[in-house]
Amino acid sequence: MIMTSVSLDELGPVDYVVVEFPAGASNFTGEMVTELRALVDSGTIRVIDVLILTKDADGTVEATELSDVAELGDLETIEAELAELLAADDVDNLAAAMEPGSTAGVLIWENLWAAPFASAARRAGGQLIADGRIPIQAIIASIEADEATATTGD
Amino acid sequence: MPLRPARAGRVGVIRAPVAKTAVVAKAVTPGRAPVAKTAVVAAAVTPRVGRRRI
Repeated sequence: MIMTSVSLDELGPVDYVVVEFPAGASNFTGEMVTELRALVDSGTIRVIDVLILTKDADGTVEATELSDVAELGDLETIEAELAELLAADDVDNLAAAMEPGSTAGVLIWENLWAAPFASAARRAGGQLIADGRIPIQAIIASIEADEATATTGD
Repeated sequence: MPLRPARAGRVGVIRAPVAKTAVVAKAVTPGRAPVAKTAVVAAAVTPRVGRRRI
């Protein structure tokens, strides 16, 4: 599926992550690629864009296209369908959270699994007014606060 | 290596500098999962019959 063939009404929510690998801490076994491939093959997501960012010790950021990576393996078919959504102007914003000396992968994807529900909601007259994630830490904090309240009886 | 020319001169989609997310950093940190907290969180997101919020 290519970007231009997707009706706007059928487009699922688009998310991104920036995953940082501190200097000397990366341990690539291919497991990440396998899991990503599985998500694509199952129709759960569609990968829209991928960039690899490196931040030098002096803070200089360099971006690399996935296509410039040697031996893509299972990523080859994913790379062939990238939409190149990110602009050059996005690179500095994406790299802002990176530590100097680190490498990061930027992944942008469409949540295909959510598209039918989102379309149905729109057809029903609904409009998205908020969305987001609840960090696991927030759930833990809530539980711990409940436990503290139960203990003190407040 | 330079970015593809198609990325130049376009308006970006990431509108502001991205802040570090501790949650993501911890989630991908190698090592054993915090078993105790994992169990507690799992319980919190498991359906409960008759669960009341207040």
